[in-house]
Amino acid sequence: MSRIRNTSNAPALPWIPRWMLALAALLAAAAFPLLVEYGVIQTVWIRVGTRALVYVLLAVGLNLIMGETGMLNLGYIAFFAIGAYTTALFSSPRFGFEVPFWPLLVMSAGLAMLAGYLVGLPSLRLRGDYLAIVTLAFGEVTRYTFNNWESVTNGPGGIPGIYRPTVFGYLVERPIEFYYLILVFVVLAVLLVANLKNSRVGRAWNALREDEIAAEAAGIHGMRAKMVALVISAAIAGVAGSLFAYYQQFINPTYFVFMQSVIIVCMIVLGGLGSIPGAVLGAVVLDSLPEFTRQSFSSWLPAIFGRDFMAGWPDFLRTFFLDFDQYRMLIVGLVIVVMVIFRPEGLIPDALWRREVHQEDPREQEHTLQTLFDIEEGKQDLEV
Amino acid sequence: MIYALIALGYTMVYGVLEFINFAHGEVFTIGGFIGATFLIWVGVDDGTPLYAKVLYLAAGFAISVVLTAGLGWLLERVAYRPLRGASRIIPLLSAIGASIFLQNMVIVIFGSQPVIMPTAVIPSGFVSLMGVRVRVLAIGIIVLSIMLMVGLTYLLKATRIGKAMRATSQDREAAEMMGIETNRTISFTFVVGSALAAVGGVLVAMYYGSLKFDTGFLYGLKAFTAAVLGGIGNIPGAVTGALVLGLVENYGVGLTLGWLAGLVAVGLAVGLYIQLWRAPNKRIAILAADGRAEEYRERILRLYRLAPYHAVKTVLTERRDAVLRLTARHAVRLTLGNVFLSGMLVAFVLNAGYQFSSKWQHAISFIVLMLVLMFRPSGILGEHIQEKV
Repeated sequence: MSRIRNTSNAPALPWIPRWMLALAALLAAAAFPLLVEYGVIQTVWIRVGTRALVYVLLAVGLNLIMGETGMLNLGYIAFFAIGAYTTALFSSPRFGFEVPFWPLLVMSAGLAMLAGYLVGLPSLRLRGDYLAIVTLAFGEVTRYTFNNWESVTNGPGGIPGIYRPTVFGYLVERPIEFYYLILVFVVLAVLLVANLKNSRVGRAWNALREDEIAAEAAGIHGMRAKMVALVISAAIAGVAGSLFAYYQQFINPTYFVFMQSVIIVCMIVLGGLGSIPGAVLGAVVLDSLPEFTRQSFSSWLPAIFGRDFMAGWPDFLRTFFLDFDQYRMLIVGLVIVVMVIFRPEGLIPDALWRREVHQEDPREQEHTLQTLFDIEEGKQDLEV
Repeated sequence: MIYALIALGYTMVYGVLEFINFAHGEVFTIGGFIGATFLIWVGVDDGTPLYAKVLYLAAGFAISVVLTAGLGWLLERVAYRPLRGASRIIPLLSAIGASIFLQNMVIVIFGSQPVIMPTAVIPSGFVSLMGVRVRVLAIGIIVLSIMLMVGLTYLLKATRIGKAMRATSQDREAAEMMGIETNRTISFTFVVGSALAAVGGVLVAMYYGSLKFDTGFLYGLKAFTAAVLGGIGNIPGAVTGALVLGLVENYGVGLTLGWLAGLVAVGLAVGLYIQLWRAPNKRIAILAADGRAEEYRERILRLYRLAPYHAVKTVLTERRDAVLRLTARHAVRLTLGNVFLSGMLVAFVLNAGYQFSSKWQHAISFIVLMLVLMFRPSGILGEHIQEKV
């Protein structure tokens, strides 16, 4: 059966072209620190933003294997950890190494890729749910290794005092500088993934996701295509880990627990599997929501509605909004279940994936018919 | 044995639905929490007479089983049933969501501190069994587990609903056509699985004296390992797997250096055997089917024996002879794999000899899980599900 691709030109909002939205998002992200610089919002926000960007990197990377190729990876944080530890070990007083920024970045990504390759070799032939468990086990084994291999990683104590990086002769020191540094890598990663998505191997991934046997029959080397996806996404996670270590200046194994992997998975599910804007949105929302809620209920809303606007509210509502962090995962879990049942394609869906989950939906079929019609008029190219 | 109880839940659900119930570990925790909270609430202490203690304990088990089974039913109803028939990855995501939700539910309701089991209801005696001191409680757990498993086997093999469960697991549509209410059967499976998990939860709380909100995650994973180890979907397999895992975990950590050296020796021997004997002979056997074995025998053996040098040379120089080129490539890969594995093994043992302690206990089960899934996903006793086309 031939499938029609129109992932790139199916607009999220029908009246605005997609590239304009992307540009607007980029401008917003670039302008965001200025709000902090000019004192519109507190300085804590720059930290929130930077951390959110790291998660955006991770979500975009994981999206490549999970959304595009359809392999559930529950140990993604392991690649992040490998990148972070590589950077920490080779650019801190721990062993007296001080490898410059770029070589070390490549090293971190390379080691993460190597780990991805080694894990992938035996495990990629497994069925979807088994693969999820193997990657989960891999993630935990990695964490235990970093936790227990005290002679190298200093165990639970972690590695403090990671040096500040020098990028093109410029010492990156302040949080705001890190923000822009990471933003550059986010843009690079998004461009990379967006291009891969519409490349030959990207089409192979989508085909494998939808029907592995049919895809192999059509001449796709399934193992190789999956391996490419895994290795590239591991590299993105490695870069993210490296940047995270530089930014944080201190890492220990508690940053890399299983829950982190799950959170990244949730970000992608929330935003929409296989959709890059979805991954970005999911990461930003899930990561900054607790801080956002806390800030708005402790300082912004009182400023607008008066100090005691919550006085009449029941107690549990007040604690709920003020200590939102405590309830975040509760809400996230609930949202995931609800989303998966009622809107499995996510907030900003990828066109192909949406069609897959709503095969019986008449509206979608109409859409497909419309696309076919367009092809006859030569507006779109048909790919098999 | 407790692994066995939880593993049974996984295996049953997997057998019927072919899907991993991620939230099972959380169901188990909640079972334990309910039991412990009930016992705290009734206020058992050392002054309570024995018969009352037993009664309270039984009531604790009963309440925990009933509530947890209800939870299992609800979980299936809310989170999984609407997704029946969706592709494989979707219910798994829902299960992860449910798992997160339940775990945080426990934190919100019971707090993030561990719940302490009243010591009064925990039998504290020891008995001497063949010269080994064993806790009475441990024997109690084993007896109870065996009883439950026998009951479960009876349920599956000899009752009507058991038959329905087996039929549903083989082919849901066909079962439905035969007049089996598959939805009810699946709900029932969840109820039974959750009830077993509840018993497991209370027992763990009794054995270790306390229970934390994240206990279930680890136990769930280990139980899953056990289920996979024994062959998922297979009930005796789950029990076997649990026993093996328990032994490996407890004795794996206690291995002495001598054992580990033996492990290295065996590993190296296996590697060498494959490199020098099995792999080349397999290649030759394949060629023999074409009647071309003799022509190649010597050269193939040489490739594997002196792989690093000859094989690399052959890969680089032989352009025309596909057989030799492919064989050489295989030999190179095999050698690299062997070198890598033995390196890992040696490094692991050296490191282990240097600092082997109970820290690795949990890691061991993860490693077992990875190895089993990678190399023998059908488990020790085989998978019980029919291949579906």
